[in-house]
Amino acid sequence: MTPGRHALGLLGIFCAAMLAHAARADETCLSPFMPKITGQEDYVYVYTLGVAGLGDGNDKLVTLGANPNRPGYGKVVSQVSMPGRHEAHHGDFTDDRRFLWLGGLDTSEIFVFDVATNPGKPKLAKRISNFVAKSGGVVGPHTFYALPGRMLITGLSNAKDGGGKTGMVEYSNAGEFIRTIWMPTGAEYGYDARVKPDLNRMLTSSFTGKKNYMRPLGDLMGDAEAMKKFGNTMVVWDFHARKPLQTLAVPGAPLEIRFALDPRHYYAFTSSALTGRLWGIFRKDDGSFEAVDLAPIGDPAKPPLPVDISLSSDDKFLFVDSFVDGTVRVFDVSDPRKPVVVHEKKIGAQVNMVSQSWDGKRVYFSSSLLSNWDKSGADDEQFVKAFSWDGKTLEPLFAVDFKAEKLGRPHIMRFGQEGFWAGTSSPTVGEGE
Amino acid sequence: MTLALALLLALFQAPKPGTYELPPIAQVQERELVDASGARVGFPGLAPGQVAVVAFIYRGCHEATGCPASLALLRELDRRVAADPARAARVRLACVSFDPKSDTPARMAELRDLMAPQSDWRFLVPDGRKALANVLRDFGQDVVELEGGAKRHVMKVYLVDDSLRVRNVYAAGFLDADLVLADIDTLAPPH
Repeated sequence: MTPGRHALGLLGIFCAAMLAHAARADETCLSPFMPKITGQEDYVYVYTLGVAGLGDGNDKLVTLGANPNRPGYGKVVSQVSMPGRHEAHHGDFTDDRRFLWLGGLDTSEIFVFDVATNPGKPKLAKRISNFVAKSGGVVGPHTFYALPGRMLITGLSNAKDGGGKTGMVEYSNAGEFIRTIWMPTGAEYGYDARVKPDLNRMLTSSFTGKKNYMRPLGDLMGDAEAMKKFGNTMVVWDFHARKPLQTLAVPGAPLEIRFALDPRHYYAFTSSALTGRLWGIFRKDDGSFEAVDLAPIGDPAKPPLPVDISLSSDDKFLFVDSFVDGTVRVFDVSDPRKPVVVHEKKIGAQVNMVSQSWDGKRVYFSSSLLSNWDKSGADDEQFVKAFSWDGKTLEPLFAVDFKAEKLGRPHIMRFGQEGFWAGTSSPTVGEGE
Repeated sequence: MTLALALLLALFQAPKPGTYELPPIAQVQERELVDASGARVGFPGLAPGQVAVVAFIYRGCHEATGCPASLALLRELDRRVAADPARAARVRLACVSFDPKSDTPARMAELRDLMAPQSDWRFLVPDGRKALANVLRDFGQDVVELEGGAKRHVMKVYLVDDSLRVRNVYAAGFLDADLVLADIDTLAPPH
């Protein structure tokens, strides 16, 4: 092997004593360019949609205690309100994991939190309010994906017509706009993006525009014309050149993408929300990719709106959340072309996001999908629930009721660890000219 | 070489130089650092048409996939750049120490002798913590000093153009000499 050649790949992210708790791959789905928490997480950061009349009504970053050996286990240990409601949705860390970027799908505001200085009490460090103007009209910052020195942000919509035509936007870690890459003709919709560096390939998926995702779900489902305006494609990109190579047909709004983590596994999974199917995206011998319809999720006659998926670090289990029936189904994907459901559990009246620890022993679920798509009345449960996973069954660990705590609608979850960045000094802070 | 690594090497192909864009990511400043002979020199100190490949390292790093890996990348680049005189005139390599307290110019000279550079490869150290903080801030390179002197940081390698703009960043998630050379030839194409 040539010195310096890639395939350090999923191993060393950190120099110095970091490998004790940061090593291979992801805590389930993070960028391969980011250090990972491979041991016990101390905190779960929960990006939470504000609800009018509930608490202060603002969007929030809520920090939950997640370490049973530390104070505040299973409780809210801190919360920071953002002014207003922005359709809080997704976010992720920068490549050095010092900052957590969070996006609002309605206002396209981006909030950047410092999670390194005091991991138990994140602090708002920067607000980006000109994303739409800077990007040339991209609306609805969705996936935040750390690249070396910068953040890749996928859009869902555009400022011109609020439809699904959109693009991807890159910012520097310092928060400066770099460029916009519009989705290609014939595959204009966007949603998620994931990179397999060793193949120099990126996959993107497709959802719908702002006119649809901000509309009450019942109205939308009854509008046949509007329901035609969902993505049916995935795009294979030359990652380094950011150029589209291939468009794959994946009907019914393919959402989250998870590449297999073993460097010898050249495939990814996604679920199609409207058709309720599990899909595999496989590299073929000629280097191109194929999309394969692998299995139904739940009853094919009543697609349960699969939303989030999470692949275990050994590529064995795929957790698939479906919103309508509030259920997680765990597929054994050891044979990726023949997934088998090995466990099924109802989490609540509704469920959306799922995040698992690197060791696969803890799995967290949150309830909210979109402010106008969440259920109503008693079914409008808003929670984060933690479970243990032993490879066979999920058992409850703790639950936080986000209504009783007057917090709002919990959405994406990311992990934090006390001491991840602790040191005697940091020359980059408070010194220099 | 394992079968898995052999397959990876076979699957990856760097893009053709000049067929893609590398938009600026950050603006750095010209700084004064100390070289391995103890002389104060401009950093990056590029002439028009030159690019620099910059890695932050420290000699006390013993994590094989950390600083030694970025040094290995620079060493491979050094040999391949030196083998092409036209390209060699357009490329400067630089490793800058995180540890001005321990990595004296004499220690950096030892490292230089170990690496035995064949191209324009500089071994630099900031003159104190303030100078270190300035250059780290320019590049957005994180570091935390731990008890015992270890420097915790995400390993990154930077490509800088002659207008002092960072044009790409390479991290441990993917280090590849072919890719860096393609980027070099994209920014500073051979005539």
